[in-house]
Amino acid sequence: MDNSILQLFPFERRAFWEKTASCQARLREIRLRVGQPAVVYLGSRETFLDKEGNFTDSPARGRIVTGTELEELLEHICSYSPYAFEEELRQGFLTVNGGHRVGVAGQVVMEREGCIRTIKNVRFLNIRISHQIRGAADKVLPDVYRRGVPKNVLILSPPGCGKTTLLRDLIRQVSDGNVYGRGRTVGVVDERSEIAGSCCGLPQNDVGLRTDVLDACPKSLGMMMLLRSMSPEVIAIDELGSREEFEALRSAAACGSNIMATAHGEGPEDIIKRFDVPEGLWRQLFQMIIVLGKENGSCVVKKIQEGWDADA
Amino acid sequence: MLRAAGACMILTGCLGLGLWYREQLLGRIRALGLLRTILELLGSEVRYGRETLPECCGRVAGRLPSPCREAFRQVADRMGQNTGERFGAVFRECVGEALDSLPLTEEDQEDFFRFVPGNGFTDGQMQLRMIEQSRVRIETRADSLERGNVERCRMAVGLGALGGLLILLVLC
Repeated sequence: MDNSILQLFPFERRAFWEKTASCQARLREIRLRVGQPAVVYLGSRETFLDKEGNFTDSPARGRIVTGTELEELLEHICSYSPYAFEEELRQGFLTVNGGHRVGVAGQVVMEREGCIRTIKNVRFLNIRISHQIRGAADKVLPDVYRRGVPKNVLILSPPGCGKTTLLRDLIRQVSDGNVYGRGRTVGVVDERSEIAGSCCGLPQNDVGLRTDVLDACPKSLGMMMLLRSMSPEVIAIDELGSREEFEALRSAAACGSNIMATAHGEGPEDIIKRFDVPEGLWRQLFQMIIVLGKENGSCVVKKIQEGWDADA
Repeated sequence: MLRAAGACMILTGCLGLGLWYREQLLGRIRALGLLRTILELLGSEVRYGRETLPECCGRVAGRLPSPCREAFRQVADRMGQNTGERFGAVFRECVGEALDSLPLTEEDQEDFFRFVPGNGFTDGQMQLRMIEQSRVRIETRADSLERGNVERCRMAVGLGALGGLLILLVLC
């Protein structure tokens, strides 16, 4: 049994979390707040943990999380070396073994320049369980290739609709090779460690055998670094969010790399409005747009569009 | 002839005793020097590599003499297995055992273990300062020992030799 959830906890707490960890396949989130009962999300169900670690639907019967418990947990997650995770803590999250992501909140310490120095007195933790879905890109894969070469693809959706999951599987399949094209060298700039879920630089998710990952690196910088150092045939980034990143993508495309990116947005029109980038440049850069959404609570591919014209 | 051989043996034995005592005094200084080196290596791993303490132990192990090499490797391996043990406890157990075999006092060991973080947030600067504090304390102790030891060592060897002569005189 993969016990990467259980390994998050110090030895004394493992007995309590055993039941929860055994449901890893359905486990979505564990939320810990000091002075409140621990909340566990199993699929779409919200549940609490009683004193023995069993699931209960009543918050009143839930075991209250203590400050010491949370501190010990964070120390353990940081391998008793919080200084090594300063940068991650500043961003508000840590990626741990198994690709799971631990979000932290508490008292923010600011620097004079208005930057966040660190988060102290951490009182809230959110453990988001990583689930790689192999085959998530199977449906879109035939459209992604043109004569054996992957197109420049932009995946759009509102938050929580599976952009990253789709991109991760696309990367894996493009890297490994598939019936539509040979395996290609893929460079991933994983600024928030969401694609590869790297821990100490090592991808915890399968991103393919020809994939190089630049973890926790700003996207615009990372793309240039990858181009210089790893000469990728395909460059992939998650959550395109600024003009600078867009320009870096253009440079990558100009260097001959194919591009795969995701962005928040309901559709192409939405993204053109949100970014300070002329429509013509979008048209030049991306040859294909995949729009994701939710139907009956499930993530679905709403539209696969060749170019930027809605009827294409 | 036999008498001369006996006298030589007594003299050599006493001188050897003096030298052995001198070695004991110097051994502690050397052991303190080793602790200082370990702290310097750990400090540079933290400063430049931002490695976690268990990772630092694994990296530093290769550059240490036995038995510290094995102890540090054991710490890295045990923490790598992620059985939920605390770093402080594992480090004290494994490294403490190795340090017990060296001529160090309990105080020396406590000064060394001072850098191991307890509960609470420790940023990079704090961790480096803790390592530095341990190193300075050990260095100060080694320096004061070294100053006093010059006289003591001379006295130990001298007393050994003189003791031998005294025994010879008494026996003659």
